Amino acid sequence: MTVASVLLALLGSTWLLAVIEGWMTTGRLSPAAPLFSGLAHLGRESILPRSPDRVFFEAAPVLLLVVGVLGMAVLPLAPDLIIADLGTGALFINAALAYVLVAVIMAGWGPDGAYAMIGGWRFLGQLIAYSMLIVMPITAVAMRAESLLNTAIVGSQAGLWNIVYQPLGFVLFFIAAMALAFRAPFDLPTAEGELGGGVDAEYTGVRLAVLRLARLTLVVTLASATTVFYLGGWHGPLLPPWAWSLVKTLAVAVSMLLVGHYLPRIREADLMRWCWILGIPLALVNIIVVGLLILVVP
Amino acid sequence: MSFDSAINITGARQKRPSVLQKLVSRALARNLGCLIVPGPEIALAHGLDVTAAGMRTSTTPRDASVLMIVGELSEKMGDAVAVLYAQMPRPRAILIVGGQTPSTLPGADISAGLSQKGLTEAVVRLQRAFADGAFVASPEAFDADVLHAKIEYVCPMHPEIVEDEPGSCPKCGMDLVAREAGESTPDHDHEHQHHGHKHDHEHEHEHCHDQDHKGHHEHHHGHDHEHSNEHQQEHAHENAAAEYTCPMHPEIVRDEPGSCPKCGMDLVAREDAEDEGASEEGSGHGHNHQHSESDHHSEHEHSGHDHGEHDHGGHKHGGHDHGASGFMSMIEVTKDLPRSADGLQMDWLEVPFGPVFPGLPGGLKLTLTLDGDGVTEGQATSLAGMTIEVEEGEESEEIDVETFIDHLATAMPLAPVSYRLLACLAIEQAAGLNDDQATTQARNGGLERERIASHLGWLAQLGRQLGFAWLTQRASTLQLQVREANRYRLAELEPALRTLGTRLGRTPLLKSRLKDIGELSSEFSDLRGPLARAASEGGDAWARLWQRLAEITASLDLIKASSEPALPSLRDIGDLSGTGEVTVDTPRGEARLSLKLERGKVKSYKLDTPCSHHIDLVPKLVEGQELGDALLAVGSLDLSPWEVIS
Repeated sequence: MTVASVLLALLGSTWLLAVIEGWMTTGRLSPAAPLFSGLAHLGRESILPRSPDRVFFEAAPVLLLVVGVLGMAVLPLAPDLIIADLGTGALFINAALAYVLVAVIMAGWGPDGAYAMIGGWRFLGQLIAYSMLIVMPITAVAMRAESLLNTAIVGSQAGLWNIVYQPLGFVLFFIAAMALAFRAPFDLPTAEGELGGGVDAEYTGVRLAVLRLARLTLVVTLASATTVFYLGGWHGPLLPPWAWSLVKTLAVAVSMLLVGHYLPRIREADLMRWCWILGIPLALVNIIVVGLLILVVP
Repeated sequence: MSFDSAINITGARQKRPSVLQKLVSRALARNLGCLIVPGPEIALAHGLDVTAAGMRTSTTPRDASVLMIVGELSEKMGDAVAVLYAQMPRPRAILIVGGQTPSTLPGADISAGLSQKGLTEAVVRLQRAFADGAFVASPEAFDADVLHAKIEYVCPMHPEIVEDEPGSCPKCGMDLVAREAGESTPDHDHEHQHHGHKHDHEHEHEHCHDQDHKGHHEHHHGHDHEHSNEHQQEHAHENAAAEYTCPMHPEIVRDEPGSCPKCGMDLVAREDAEDEGASEEGSGHGHNHQHSESDHHSEHEHSGHDHGEHDHGGHKHGGHDHGASGFMSMIEVTKDLPRSADGLQMDWLEVPFGPVFPGLPGGLKLTLTLDGDGVTEGQATSLAGMTIEVEEGEESEEIDVETFIDHLATAMPLAPVSYRLLACLAIEQAAGLNDDQATTQARNGGLERERIASHLGWLAQLGRQLGFAWLTQRASTLQLQVREANRYRLAELEPALRTLGTRLGRTPLLKSRLKDIGELSSEFSDLRGPLARAASEGGDAWARLWQRLAEITASLDLIKASSEPALPSLRDIGDLSGTGEVTVDTPRGEARLSLKLERGKVKSYKLDTPCSHHIDLVPKLVEGQELGDALLAVGSLDLSPWEVIS
C-alpha cells in the first residue's frame, strides 16, 4: 500500500511537472500532453545506432529511472508514508544518486557517437563540481537532526524549517541538485546548442520515452529531497501531511525548471571554478555555523 | 477508414490499425516534431511561426516526425538533408515550404506556399494524415547515394585479407573488423593514433608527467619493457605468422587465440620469432608484470569499445584493430600525438557540426578537430552560399533588371530587403537617376526595420545556442512582429525592444559566458558592420551583443525620424546603359555591388558581401577554445551562409 501510494505520488508529480514544462515551452496548458507525447513515442520507431554498445545503450535510460525511484523510496511523504525509513536514509540518497553519473556516461558511451560521447564525459566533470555540494549540506542537515533517518530530519524541522535555520545550505544544495539533474543551466551533457542533444541525441521511440520520464522523475526526487532536508517535509497547517509534501516538492521542481528557463547555460570551467572556490568553502562555513548554533541554542 | 488520397506519408510501415494503434496515431498527430531545414532562423526570417502552426520545433532528427524544408536548397544541402531524413524515426513526413524537393529525397508529402497561412493549412493536413494513419509502406526503404559507404571486413593482423562479409580470418582465425571501403590500409602509426584515443586518461597522464616525453626512449630503456614489446607487436602486424601468449605468463604460447590456462586472461598476439628478432631495445625481456597487466587491461578497454565517435562524427578511419596490438602502451600510442593545451596527448577527432545544427546558422558547416572537449582547429564552409555565374568580362546573358533584383533578394533570405535595396540603388546609379528624398527615406526605413528584425533573429539564435529559452522565445516573437510592422506598430513595440537590453544586462551568467569569447580586435582588417563597430569596445562576443542591441535602438530612432518603412522597388529606368557601384550597410556589414547596365538589362555584376570575409575568421576564433566557447564565438559572428560567395 505504502509502496503503491509513494509510486503513485511520484508518477503524479512527474506528470504535473511534464504538463508545466509543456506549458513553458509551447505556451499551452494541456493536461493530456504528456500522455499523448508518451503514446507518440510508442508509435515511433526506436532506432538502434549503427554500432552501439548494446548493454550500455539499453540499460542507461532504465538505470536512470531506477535511480530516481530508489531515491524516492527513502524520502517520507508523511510520518508513516515512506517505503523504507532507513537508518542511513540521508546517506542512501547520496549513494543512489551517484548512479546518475553511471547512467549518463553509459548513455554517452552506448550509442557510438561523438556528441553523446562528449556529453557523457562532460558529466563526469560536472560530478566533480557538484558532488561535494550535495554531501556537505546534507551533513549539516543531519547534524541538526542528530540522525540520518529522513523522518527524523523532517521531525527536527517541526519548529523551524532548515531553509531558515541554514539558508546557505539550502542554496548550495538547490544548485547542486539542479546540476545533478542536468537541467538548464547545467545541461552540459545534453546541451542542444553545443552537442545537438548530447547523451539524449541518439535515443528514439520507447527508449526516448523512458529517458524523458527518467529525467523528470529525477527532478521530482531531487525536489522531494530538498523538501525533506530544508522545507520541513510534511509540516504545514490545514492540509494533510502528504499533501504538504507534494505541494512543496512540486514548488521546488517548478522553480528548478523556471531558473533554467531564464538563464543561459553555464560554462563548464566556470561551474567547476565556482563550485570549488566558492561553493565548498561556503559549505564548510555552513557546517561550522550550524555546529555553533547547535552548541549555543539548546 | 478514409484515406486522404492526397497524402500518403512515405516511409511508414503499413498496418491494419487496431484501437491502440489508432490512439497512437492520434497522439502522433498531436505531437508532430518538426526539424526545420536549413534552420529555424530561416523560417523566422520568412515570417513562419512553426509553433503557432501547431508543430513542435525539434532540434534533432531523432526527435522529429516532419522534415520541413524552407525555401530552395543548394545541391550540397540536399545531400545533408538526405542524411537527416534517414536519421528520423518512422513514420516521417516531408513538408516543403516554398521550394522544390531536393533530388536526394523521395518527394514531398505536402507542399505549401511560403506564408504562415500556407504553413498552417499544410500542418492541419499533415495532422489529419497522421491521425488517420494514412501511411503507405514505402516501396523500398529510403536509400540515397550519399548514405552509401560500402563496408568491407579486414583482418587486423593480415591486411591482405579483405572480405565482403563479417567472419574470421582464414589465416589466423581472428574476427574480421569492419571498415569503410575505399580507404587505403592505414599504416600502423596512423592506426595506433586512433586506437590510443582518450580512454585511458589516467594512465597517459601519469606517464606524461613523470617523464620527459621527448626523451623517454633514451631515458627509460631500463624499465620501459613495454616499449620494446610494443615494437615487437608492431612488427607482428607485418609478419604473417603470429602466436599467442599470456601477458602474465610468458611461458604460455599457443598457435591460436584463446585464454590462458593459468589465469584465464585472453591471450594476446605476438611475433613468432620474438627472441631472435630481439634488438637492443627488445633485449630487456623480463617483463614488468605490473605494467604488462595494466597495459593488457587498457587494451581490453579498447577492443571492448573502440568505437564511438569516429563513425558517427563522420570520422573515418581504418578498422578497429582488435587485439592485434598486444601490450599497448599509452606512451607508445601517444608519443607522436600532438599535445593539447592541458598537456595531455590524446587522439583528435574530426567532428562535423552542421549544416543543420541547433547551435549554428543553417547551411553553415563547421568541421572541428576535437581533442576531448577542446578544439584544436576548425574550418567553416557554407553549403548554402551563392555562386556567381556572371563574372565581369565574361560573355554572359543579359538579365532583366526586375529578375536580377528578385534573384538577389531571394538568394539572401536573411536580409532580402538590404540586397533588394542594393540592387535597386546600383541599377539606378547605372541608369544615372538622381536620388529622390522621399524614396530614400522610405527605403532607409525598410532597411533599418530589417536590421532590427535581423538582430532579433540573431538574439534568438544566441538563445538557442546557450539553451536560454526565454531569450529565444522573446526575440523570436518580437522578430515576427517587427518584420512587417509599420511605424505605428514599431512605436508600440519600442518599449519591449528597449527593455530587452535591460533584461539581458541583468541576466546572471550571461556576461561570464560571453566575455572574452571570440575576441576580434580592430587589427583584423576584414571586419565589417557590427563586428567592426564592436571591435573598439573589446571585440568579444559580449561587446557584439551590446553593439547589436545598441543598433536596434538606433534603428528605432532612425525610423521615427524618417517616413513609413517600405520595401524598395525599382523606379523606372528606361533603356539606359551605364555602370553603377553602391554600398549598403546590411545588418551584417557593408555589402558592395557594382554592375554594368546595357539597354536596361544587367550585363554583368560583382558582389562583395560581409560574410564572405567574416567566414575566414572562424579558424582563428575556434583554435584552442573549449567546444562550447568555440561554437559561441562562431555564432557571435552572425554569419549568413547565403551571403558567402564562392
